[in-house]
Amino acid sequence: MSDAVTTPAQDSEESTNWRSIPQIAVVFGLVLCMYGLVQDKQQFAFSYLTAFMFFLSLGLGSLFMVLIHHLFDAGWSAPIRRYLEHFSCLLFPWLGVAFIPIGFMAPDYIYPWMQVADPHEDHALYVKKALFNKPTWYAASTLLFLFWGWLTHRLRYWSLQQDKSGTAEFEGKLMFPEHLIASFYKNFQGLPFEKDNQQVLCTRMMRIHAAYGVVLFAFTLTLGAILWMKSIQHQFFSTMYGVYYFAGSVWLTISTAWITARVLKAKGLLPQVHNLQFYHLGTMLLAFTVFYAYIHFSQYFLIWNAAVPEETFWYVLREQGTWAYVSWALIIGHFLIPFLTLLRIDVKLTNKVMVPVFIWVILMHYMDMYFNMMPEIHPDGPSPAVADLGALLLIGGTLIWVFMRSLFSHPICPLRDPRMGEAIEHH
Amino acid sequence: MSKSFAIMAEYETPAEIMDAAKKVHAAGYEKWDVHSPFPIHGMDDAMGLDNAKVGYFTFFGGLIGFTTGMTMQYFMNKFDYAIVVGGKPLFSGFFAFPVSYELTILLGAFGSLIGMFVLNRLPRHHHPLLANERFADVTDDKFYVVIECDDDHYDEQTTRNLLEGTNAVHIEMVEGTE
Repeated sequence: MSDAVTTPAQDSEESTNWRSIPQIAVVFGLVLCMYGLVQDKQQFAFSYLTAFMFFLSLGLGSLFMVLIHHLFDAGWSAPIRRYLEHFSCLLFPWLGVAFIPIGFMAPDYIYPWMQVADPHEDHALYVKKALFNKPTWYAASTLLFLFWGWLTHRLRYWSLQQDKSGTAEFEGKLMFPEHLIASFYKNFQGLPFEKDNQQVLCTRMMRIHAAYGVVLFAFTLTLGAILWMKSIQHQFFSTMYGVYYFAGSVWLTISTAWITARVLKAKGLLPQVHNLQFYHLGTMLLAFTVFYAYIHFSQYFLIWNAAVPEETFWYVLREQGTWAYVSWALIIGHFLIPFLTLLRIDVKLTNKVMVPVFIWVILMHYMDMYFNMMPEIHPDGPSPAVADLGALLLIGGTLIWVFMRSLFSHPICPLRDPRMGEAIEHH
Repeated sequence: MSKSFAIMAEYETPAEIMDAAKKVHAAGYEKWDVHSPFPIHGMDDAMGLDNAKVGYFTFFGGLIGFTTGMTMQYFMNKFDYAIVVGGKPLFSGFFAFPVSYELTILLGAFGSLIGMFVLNRLPRHHHPLLANERFADVTDDKFYVVIECDDDHYDEQTTRNLLEGTNAVHIEMVEGTE
C-alpha cells in the first residue's frame, strides 16, 4: 500500500507548472494589496479581514473534521484525514502570521470601539468591557492561535508518527502536559495504555487530544468569531454568532475537502479515496447546508421577533440599499440552491453536478463573510475593491503554497491507521 | 390443486446468492426477489434495482406540509382572526416559518411511510411464500431467490435450468393460493 502513496510525480513538467500557481498568486496578491493600501487604508483593512476570516474558516473547519474523525472513531474518513490535518495546521503559524497586519490595523481602521477613549461614554461597550478592551483583545487573539497551534500540531504529530510505528524511525515522544493526560487515563481510568504498541499509542493520543480539544475548539472558535468579526459592530448581541461562523466554516471545509480529494485522485496521488468518501462528504454538505440555514434563520428570527434596537440595527443595516439583494442571495444561494440540488441520493456521486456545487459553496461562503464585514464601511451596498481580490490572492496563495509543501513532504494518506482497511474496502 | 406461484432456489451463503442474483438479473427477469436474513451490501446493484421511489413521496409530502403551514397561518392571521401582536404585520413568513417547518417534517415523514406502504403494496396479510415450510429458514441462515411464474421470461424448464446453473442447494416450486 505504501508504495503507491509516497511517490508523487514530482519531476514531471506538468506538475511543476501546476505547483507554481500559488507563488504567482502571492506575487499578484502582494501587488494588488500594495495598490489597495495606497488607495484606501480602511478598505484594505476590511478586505484583508474578510479574506482572513474566509481562510480561517478552512483551518478551523478542517480542525473540526479531524476532531470528529477521532471522536467517532470513523472509518470512512481515514484516507482524507491527512490533508485535513495539513489544512488545520495552517492555523499556526501561518494564519497567525496573516493575523499580524490585522493587529496593526485594528485600532485605526477596523474596530471603532478601540477608539472610544472612555468606555463610560458608550453603554454597550461599558457592559462588554471585560472582553472589549485592547489588552484583552490582543492577549486573547494570541492565546487562540497558540492553542490552535498546540492542538493541530499535536494531532498531526501523532498521526505522522503512526505512519512510522513499528519501524526504527518512530519517535513518539510525549510533550509536557501529555504525560499527565496519559497517566490519568492509565492510572485513574484504568484504560490500557500500551506504550509498547506504537500504533495503538498514536491512536490513543489522537483521541485524547480530540476529546478535550473539541470542547475547547467550540469556545475558541466562538471567541475568535466574536473578537474579530462581531466586534466590528460591538453593540450587537447574538448568542448564535459563534455557531453561525462554525456552520459556514465546516460547510466551506467539506467543499474544499471534496475538491482536494478529487484533484488528488485524478492525479493518482490518493487512490484510496473512492465513492464512499465522496458520497459521505456530499451527505455532510447537505447536512451543513441545512444546519447553516437553521442557525442563520434562528438568529434572524429571534432578532426579528424580539425587535430590540440593540439587535435589529445589525440586520437593518444589511437590508438597506443593495445589501438587501445580498441578503436574498444568501437565502437562495447559500441555502435553497445547494439544498435542492443535493437532495437526490445519486447526485452526490455525479461529478457534473457536484463540482459546480462545491465551487458555488466556496463563493457563497465568501459572500457570507463579505456580508458580515463590509456593511460597516459601505452602508449603501457592496462595492468590490481591488484589495478584496488582492487579499484573497495573498493569503490564499500563501496558504496553498504552505499546504502543498506539507502535503508532498509526508505520506498523502495515513499509512498505518487501523481504520484504513475499512475505508478502502470496496463493496 | 392451485397453480404454482413461483420457483424458489435456496442458497447457503451471501456470496452465492449475490452471484445468482446477477445471473437472474442478466437473464432479464422482472418479477423476482431475493430474500435474506440480513441486508447484503451491494445486492441492489446485483439485482439491478433503481433508487427507491419513496423519496418522491417524502418530497411532495414535505412540500404539501410547508404549503399547508403557510396558507393556514396566512388565512388565520390575516382574515379569520386578524389581531395585531407585538406590532408585527398580520402575516409574515418569519413567524409562520417554524410551524410550516414542523409541518414539512411531519407530512414528509407521513409521505415516506405512506410511500413505503404503497410501493410495497402493504398492508397484506398473506403471501404464498409464507405457506412454504422451507422458506421459514430465511429468518435464520438461508438465502432464497424467488422468481414468480407471472414473469414474462418465465418458462418452467429454462428458469429451472438457470437456477440449477447457480450454486443453489435446493430448488422447488411454491404453491399459489387462490
